[in-house]
Amino acid sequence: MKSRSTVEIRRCRPLLGTFVEVAGAATNAATLERGIIAAFAAVEKVHRLMSFHDPDSDVSRMNRDAFPKSVIVHPWTWKVLEAAQRFARESHGVFDIATARFLASWGYFPGCQHQPDNAATWRDIFLRKNCRVFFRRKLIIDLGGIAKGFAVDRAVAALKASGVKAGIVNAGGDLRVFGPISRIIHVRHPAEPTVAAAAVRLSQRAMATSGVYFARRKHRGQYVSPLLDGCTGRFARELISVTVAADECVVADALTKIVFALRKQAAGLLDQYRADALILERDALPSSKFNLSCDIADRTRFD
Amino acid sequence: MKSEFAFIALPISALVAPSTFAVQYLTVEQAQRAIFPNKSLTAAPVKLTPAQRKAIEQASGVRVLHDDQQVWQVSGGGWFIVDEVVGKHEFITYAVGLNANGSVKQIEVMDYRETYGGEIRNENWRAQFVGKTSQSQLKLDRDIKNISGATLSCRHITDGVKRLVAFYEVALKR
Repeated sequence: MKSRSTVEIRRCRPLLGTFVEVAGAATNAATLERGIIAAFAAVEKVHRLMSFHDPDSDVSRMNRDAFPKSVIVHPWTWKVLEAAQRFARESHGVFDIATARFLASWGYFPGCQHQPDNAATWRDIFLRKNCRVFFRRKLIIDLGGIAKGFAVDRAVAALKASGVKAGIVNAGGDLRVFGPISRIIHVRHPAEPTVAAAAVRLSQRAMATSGVYFARRKHRGQYVSPLLDGCTGRFARELISVTVAADECVVADALTKIVFALRKQAAGLLDQYRADALILERDALPSSKFNLSCDIADRTRFD
Repeated sequence: MKSEFAFIALPISALVAPSTFAVQYLTVEQAQRAIFPNKSLTAAPVKLTPAQRKAIEQASGVRVLHDDQQVWQVSGGGWFIVDEVVGKHEFITYAVGLNANGSVKQIEVMDYRETYGGEIRNENWRAQFVGKTSQSQLKLDRDIKNISGATLSCRHITDGVKRLVAFYEVALKR
């Protein structure tokens, strides 16, 4: 009698400034091992291309030379820039990769040598054909708000291309589940980040969560955080977290920042991307917007 | 296949009970195979002298907490090192593979464990879930397999690897 046993492998490496986990299930162990190696190679590539601190990354090269000259970047970097600009346009500047200027002055990038123009925004970033980029003003970009999501999508693509049928990639909380499986994902309590406060069942979907708890710093006696509204330069101080689910992780990643700033005003954008959002606040009930047909009162779905 | 995103309210007992997130990814033997497949490894543990310890701390800028380091020599060149780092909330055991020239070949987390601080201090949060007891079988201390929400930065491992590269220069390099 033949039986097909499933092999499951789960690995974790420090990348993208966090822990990246790749897990897969397959009937063939060799396929799975190869797929996991390919997935990590994809994440490592994103890391090398989009690292803010690595002087050889595309991001560093742009921050040095895209003004007043121009820089040619890798097609993956290009894709991320295109997505970032689209989100900036659609959120009217709330999402803006050029806000690194604020973060730099608050001490998030120690050793940063750049002197950006304080009036510079995403509108000063120009993408030309053949992956050429130039800036109209001196500005600093940081792809930290979107690169992790992109890396997760690339890792999933690598697993699928290797023949792995199901799995999860989780880059520091930005994750994606693929294949005919569903998984329960626990969301951190925003005021007590070592405790889980909610759980979500995910299938063939990506999810990202933004919260200030691990990224807060003190600057001149006040708490600041890297989650900020690109239009006003004001940063998020409340201990809340926003979880967004969407088809792609790069979309979920970027939308968390937008929902964090706009809250319920982000509803239209969530509809547009068929995305769902869950907001956890310190002294309030969780609020949510679901675009997919699922009844949250229906407990029979959950085991 | 239908896609679902549905919110599950956790039973109150789940919030009060402490939660742990712990995963074992690889044993030492599995980590060796993952980083140096088809190679044979020979155990060559190192005990640092005070002078070596000081040299490593000066070169890396990272404190050395243990004098004993678990090291294996790889046939054909290279080293396999098992190390551990402890952060405010996390305990991590990991493996680093070094090439013959001391450059990092690959890093694999072997054991990852997060600890918790204790009960939730905010009573209002807890009150939200009173009366919403779910039939859910979720037992947080056992069933957490996946987490969303910013995890801790891997800075401790990055510092650990910096320390191990200096360790190679001081104690392993011929």
